[in-house]
Amino acid sequence: MLPSSSDVIEVTKLTRSFSSRKGFLFQEKVATDALRGVDLTVHSGELFGLLGPNGAGKTTLTKILSTLLLPTSGTARVLGRDVSREGAAIRPLIGLVLGGERGLYNRVSGRENLRYFADLYGLPSGSVTSRIREVLDLVGLTEAADRRVEEYSRGMKQKLHLARGLLHRPPLLFLDEPTIGLDPRSARELRKLVRTLSSEGVSIFLTTHYMFEAEELCHRIGILAHGQMVACDTPSGLQRLVGGEGTVELESREFDDVELSRLRSLPGVSRVLQEPLGTHLRVTLRVRPGQWDPDALRGALDPHPDLFVRERRTTLEDAYLDLVEQEVAA
Amino acid sequence: MSKRPGYGLRGIEASLRLSLLSFVADPQWLIPSSIAPVIFALASFEMFRGSGPTLVLYAVLGASTMSMWGQTLYGSGWATGQDRFLGTLEPTLVAPTPYIYVVAGRVIWNVLTGLVGGVLVLGVVLWAYGQPLPLSNGLLFLGLFVALMGSLAAVGLLFTALFVYTRFSGFIQNVGEFSFYIISGAMFPVILLPFWVSPFSLAFPATWAVDALRYVGIPGYQGLSWGLTGDLLGTLGTSLAYLALALGVFRWVEHHLLEAGTASDY
Repeated sequence: MLPSSSDVIEVTKLTRSFSSRKGFLFQEKVATDALRGVDLTVHSGELFGLLGPNGAGKTTLTKILSTLLLPTSGTARVLGRDVSREGAAIRPLIGLVLGGERGLYNRVSGRENLRYFADLYGLPSGSVTSRIREVLDLVGLTEAADRRVEEYSRGMKQKLHLARGLLHRPPLLFLDEPTIGLDPRSARELRKLVRTLSSEGVSIFLTTHYMFEAEELCHRIGILAHGQMVACDTPSGLQRLVGGEGTVELESREFDDVELSRLRSLPGVSRVLQEPLGTHLRVTLRVRPGQWDPDALRGALDPHPDLFVRERRTTLEDAYLDLVEQEVAA
Repeated sequence: MSKRPGYGLRGIEASLRLSLLSFVADPQWLIPSSIAPVIFALASFEMFRGSGPTLVLYAVLGASTMSMWGQTLYGSGWATGQDRFLGTLEPTLVAPTPYIYVVAGRVIWNVLTGLVGGVLVLGVVLWAYGQPLPLSNGLLFLGLFVALMGSLAAVGLLFTALFVYTRFSGFIQNVGEFSFYIISGAMFPVILLPFWVSPFSLAFPATWAVDALRYVGIPGYQGLSWGLTGDLLGTLGTSLAYLALALGVFRWVEHHLLEAGTASDY
């Protein structure tokens, strides 16, 4: 059934454009490139994380790989089959879990939702009841199984989404932002479940906004920005991309352009990023250990009565922001 | 189409079951689709009550057909619209069962619920008329009624493909409902309509099925000139044509959805 190859996903030069119309009487066709030549490989048994800002193309890529969308050009093979030509053969082998409140029949119970999809996935009739019981138990929804879905909390709906994705025991599972909007406890339970599935050999393709989630769960992480894969490595490998640099954060009510320019020209400072932080501004410096001088740094700034300076370890989130920032600048 | 034969019947059965459960949870939608046929039936009844039982039966059959058609059209459009609104279209499309089987289950359910409207019409007319309506061959009549349901399901399937394609199902429903009432002969005899309407009338399987029903149910009925056998062949031929057309259109619509990426729009 499964291909002998150890790669469950193979993507080469994948592009996807969307066209929309602008204007009222004289409409103009506008094309938007959601994916611009993505290359990607996911190995069997791997828990692969896809990170990227809003609009980066994560959901577009997930939908193409799960046969819900056709690519504009390039190739994508899932479990050895081409998504454009062999969608019908791929569908029984994959599970798709889309995040959020939607995607369920609200007026019927969780159990009936699962029963419906068990039939659509062609589960053997004799095993439907027991398999539904199993997945409900796995996600912790046994007690609420016969309540209408409209009475479920967001976390319960998310668990039901996951249960549906697991019904037919797919060897490859797509999880699109599965913990978005969940309270910390529900999110932790879901992450635990994802880890368990991964340890049981299920290959998982996970998209998320949360760095810590990707860092905690994933064997490898791809970073997508503006429709391009800007990096793909293990969490520690991605951190190494920022060259083992340290991070210094400066916070004050304001920093002017002259100060920022002086900071950029300091020896040992490789990058200067700024972001608003409530009523303050945060300037993050990437510094090369042993090459930067804290006194020179303070000297580059005008007097700030509220200046806060902090040196810390560079995290995956820093690496991510650097990579996305570089892509935006490019 | 699926290479695994198990998906078809399982898909239809699952869809029927979900439709039933959704209906039990939300049954009030049956009321609006049954009101119009009852009003039409009562109006026809008042017009023809003095003309004897055959004309009353004629009116009742027409109104029942209208009820089933209204329910098929609105129910199918509503269910597909709900799939978009609830976001269930994508998980359903990503399941291995082709979507046409899911839709077929819903259309069958909607024709069945349309029967309720038909029975309601019959009940109201019997109550108003005060005596049983004449039926020359009950068994054949019943068989033809099933054929009528099948023909409506075939047309409903084609219309539903349009609902999957576009979000503007309300427009199609309004045009489809009233034009059907007139050109199918459910409301007026087809022969009373202008000549240029005939091709449209004959393109509807229900036109043939309703005429066949009237041949069997109404003693001495003179309908379409080719008689009962012609009506039966016409019903079968046009229903199969609609079914084949629906299969082709569904393939195109599913491909278009995947190409345009509009399955999550609502």
